[in-house]
Parts: sequence; C-alpha cells; structure tokens
Amino acid sequence: MKPQKSNKPAHRPVQRDESGELAQVLRFTPAAWAKLYWFCHHGETEIGGFGITSPSDPLLVIDFVTVKQKTTCVSVIFDDVAVADFFEDQVDQGRKPGEFSRIWCHTHPGNSPFPSSTDEETFARVFGHCDWAVMFILACGGKTYARLRFNIGPRGEMLVPVLVDYSVAFEGSNHEAWKAEYDANVKPDPTDRMCWGLVESELDPESEVELLEQLEEPEWELDLEYESEVIP
Amino acid sequence: MRIMFINNNGSGFADYIDVQEGLTVIDLFERQMPDCKPEDYLIRVNRQPVTRDTQLAEGDRVSITPTKIEGAGC
Repeated sequence: MKPQKSNKPAHRPVQRDESGELAQVLRFTPAAWAKLYWFCHHGETEIGGFGITSPSDPLLVIDFVTVKQKTTCVSVIFDDVAVADFFEDQVDQGRKPGEFSRIWCHTHPGNSPFPSSTDEETFARVFGHCDWAVMFILACGGKTYARLRFNIGPRGEMLVPVLVDYSVAFEGSNHEAWKAEYDANVKPDPTDRMCWGLVESELDPESEVELLEQLEEPEWELDLEYESEVIP
Repeated sequence: MRIMFINNNGSGFADYIDVQEGLTVIDLFERQMPDCKPEDYLIRVNRQPVTRDTQLAEGDRVSITPTKIEGAGC
C-alpha cells in the first residue's frame, strides 16, 4: 500500500488555558509563515492577505495569499475587484470559502500588533456575518495578535496563541515567486508622505529618530489575558 | 433555473442553487443575505459588475464579495 501525502500533522500541539481547558491555537506551516514574514519585511508598508487553511483543520494556515492592495506605512486596503477575483479563483481551485476567507492577515509597523479602530471596523463589517473568523496581525517587530470570533450560536471571541507548526510537511521558500506576487499586488501609495523611504530627504535625523520611537513605544497598553508571540 | 452562487456569509457558500426565472440581482441579494447592505458588497455575474435590476439567466455565476477590506496600524 502506497503511503498517502497528507497535511495532517503527526500530532497536534495541545495547549491548555489556566483552567485546564483545551485552547484553540492558530498554527502556520513553516512555508506559510515564511512567506508572510517575507512579505512583512520586503517593503516599507503594511501588507495584507488571506490565510489558506487546511480542509481538515480550519486553524492550520497552509498558505498566505495576497490580492492587489494599496498600501502605506500605516495602512492597507484591498482592491474590491481583486478580492472578488480571489474568491472566484479559489472556488475554481476547488476550495470552499471556509478554507480561504476566514483568516484575515495583515501587518503593522513597529512593535504593536494590537488592532486599530479601522481593523476593528473591518473585522466587524466584513467578517461579522461569517460563522467564524480570525483577525491576525503581525507587527514588524515580530509580535503577533490573533483573535477568533464566533458569530453563531452563543457567539463570542477569544485571543488565540499563534505558533509555527514544524510537525506538518512543508515546502521550501520561493523568494522569486514571492517577489513576483509582491510586485504584482502590493502597490505603495505614492502620495504617502509618512513612508520613511519617501520622506527621508525631508526629515532631519532627530525627527526621524523621534518618529521611530513613537511608533515603537506606544503610550498606551492593553490589558489582555495573554499575548502570543511566535518564536520561529 | 440553476445558477452558481458564491458568497462568504455564514459558513460561506459556493455551489449551485435553484432560483425562479426572471429573478434580479437585488432579489437574489435580499433572499440570500437578508441582514446585509448591498453597498457593502461587490456583486458580479460571470465576473462582471452588474446593476441591481439585472435579470439572472440559467447557468449564471453570481459572486457577492465584501468590499473595503482595510487595516491600519495603531
């Protein structure tokens, strides 16, 4: 009997919360994580996309896919037609919406992965009608934020830990293909004067240092039950 | 008649459904997504944007997908 290829991990990492209950964990395959991380650091702007999940495990991200998007160093907005094309293309590839449009991923500059009011508004308006969805944010500094929301039954939401799961089979990196996808889809807004690269000539070094410090050291802190951080 | 319908609400849907002859795009939207606003979605038939009163035909492929997916740093 021939062995069959499967994305199913040899074992599922189990995490328990303080009460001992099994906790949900958002997992990325190493290849999916590498691609997301590469996109996060390839340019000067935020980027976003969708996590493609395993048919057998809705919280296992096996790929990260972008659509055409307009970006600045503090924002990202997907092109509406590109989103529609993404949905139709994914269906043509045999996937169900639950496998390609439930994990909304985007990046933040600096070290704060916490959602902004814009993020919250999008998560409620766009994903609030789905039975469940995850808002995942990767800060350029490496911290992550993942919130799982259920919109059916008793409803509810929870922060979920994030990890890279090396127990699943994964492919190698493909920087050439990732760069082609990045160049095709990520369109920095040329009018974005905040982007450091674009304003370099207009900022004196002291102002630039001050700006970086403001971005990396927010004056506020959120009181969260726990904060997950991926250690690749 | 039968059309292909794709949307993301609920558990998501991408399959054939039976609809009555002469059904318009807005009729379908109100039937399938009763608690939603049309302005929050891009509605396409056979990958082309359409007006709300466009009548559907046998074999059409209708997609209703979210718009204004945007994020911003704090």
